[in-house]
This record gives sequence, C-alpha cells and structure tokens, in this order.
Amino acid sequence: MKDLDLQRILGSEHSDPGCDEAGELMDAYCELVARGDPVSDQFDAFVTHMRNCDACREDMEGLLAMLRDEEKSRQG
Amino acid sequence: MNTLELDQESAEWLRALQRDDRVRDDAIGRLHALLLRVSRAEVSRRRASAQGRATDDGDDLCMQAANDALMAILAKLGTYRGDARFTTWACKFAIYETSSRLRRAAWRERRVELDDSVWDRLPDAAPPTLQRIENDQVMAALRQAVDEQLTERQRLIFQSVTMDDVPIDVLAERLNSSRGAIYKTLHDARAKLRRALIEAGHGEHIS
Repeated sequence: MKDLDLQRILGSEHSDPGCDEAGELMDAYCELVARGDPVSDQFDAFVTHMRNCDACREDMEGLLAMLRDEEKSRQG
Repeated sequence: MNTLELDQESAEWLRALQRDDRVRDDAIGRLHALLLRVSRAEVSRRRASAQGRATDDGDDLCMQAANDALMAILAKLGTYRGDARFTTWACKFAIYETSSRLRRAAWRERRVELDDSVWDRLPDAAPPTLQRIENDQVMAALRQAVDEQLTERQRLIFQSVTMDDVPIDVLAERLNSSRGAIYKTLHDARAKLRRALIEAGHGEHIS
C-alpha cells in the first residue's frame, strides 16, 4: 500500500527533468491547459516535476491564473 | 526560430526587441509595463497566503521583479522558440522573479538549520509530514537512511524542504546556489532514500 505522505517526502520515482528544463516547458503547458486543449505525453516529465517541486508548481499556478485573467478580460 | 512560424503579435514583439532604435526602446517600455502588471497581480493573488502578507514593500518588490524579469528576457531573447505566445513566455519570468522574492521575504526573519530533533519530537509536535507516517518501522528505516546515506548538505536540504517546508528559493539564497541546483540535490537525496527503503523491504510503501 502506498503511503501518501511518504510519497510526498520522497517524490515520484518517475523521470523528473528538474527546475530549469521544466521551466522551459511551463509557458507552452499553461497555454494548452488554459485553452482546454489535450496535453500530450511530451509533458509527462514536466507534470512529474510539478508534483515534486512546490516552487515550480506555485509558479505554474501563477502563470495559469494570469492566462485565465487575460482570457476573462478579452471576453469582456 | 523562424519568426514566420510565430503568431503575428509574438513576431512583432520579437522584431521590435531585436532592433536597435526607438522602436526597441518603445517595446522595452511596453514590455516592462506588462511585467510590472503581472508581478502586481501575482502579489495580489497570493495576498491571502503567508507569502503575500509577509512583505510590506510590495510595490518595490514588484518593481525589482519586473526589472530583473526584463533583464532575463532580453538576455534570453535568442532562446525564445515560439512554443507559446511571446507574452506568455515573457510573463513566466515575471512570475518567477515575483514568487521567489515573496518566498524569500516570508522567510527573512527565520533561520534555516539542520534540526535533527524533528525525528524525536512527540507525534503532535513533529512536522506534519512525519506525523502522518503511521508505520513506525518505515519511519525508523527512513531516519536511518537519512543518517547513513545522505551527505550533510543533502540532509540539510532534504529535511528543510520536506519537513520544515522551507522554500527551495530560500535555501538557494542562503546557500549561494540556484533553485535548479538545490532541487537537483533534493532529487538525488530522495532517490538515495527510495533505494534504501526498497532495500530495507519497504518498497510497497513508496511504489
């Protein structure tokens, strides 16, 4: 049985590209999500990093919030 | 990147910023205004959190974040590949500069140190992540692996991030390092600990 807190402490064993490489994909990923487009498996490692790294995940949430605000003001 | 592949607005930004005249100056001015707006919106979005409340000089922080984001964007302009719109790519830098400043401001008065007493505290005084590991044998194996497998730097980073919730941007600042380098150390430490727990027969708890 998985222990969820142990998972949080130890992170995922899946491939994790680290902050720099994940940061390069963040803008493209956020645009896909904000548009509601399907996210390809090209972003699997990026998503793993977002689960493992609180700082990058919070940045991603900030960028997504910005895109959603932008879309709202575009719609008037 | 061939600018013909970009959307019209992104191509215009790129063309303007690559010139060497007043058009570039105007584009830099507009870009800085955009970055400042995004930075202020991010501070406002986080206002409800401890990070947002921690800074009294919010507008100064936003101005510094916008300035540094602009410098990073201009330095990295050649790496823009057009995978996203130019403004999305650029605003990513503003978010990064803003959020790392907020995290550092929230921890300005707090010390970061290796505190091995976290393992010995009574359950209700231990860090929440440890309180929720109910299997004593797994906890003992984890502690043993931390003591025996990790270097002192790995222990400091691992315990600070996972048990004391110290942001990696704060560790990066205190240890004269970068977010990416601190995360790499954390990643390596976690991999060592996972291997140690599997070898100790606790693999079912982590995979």
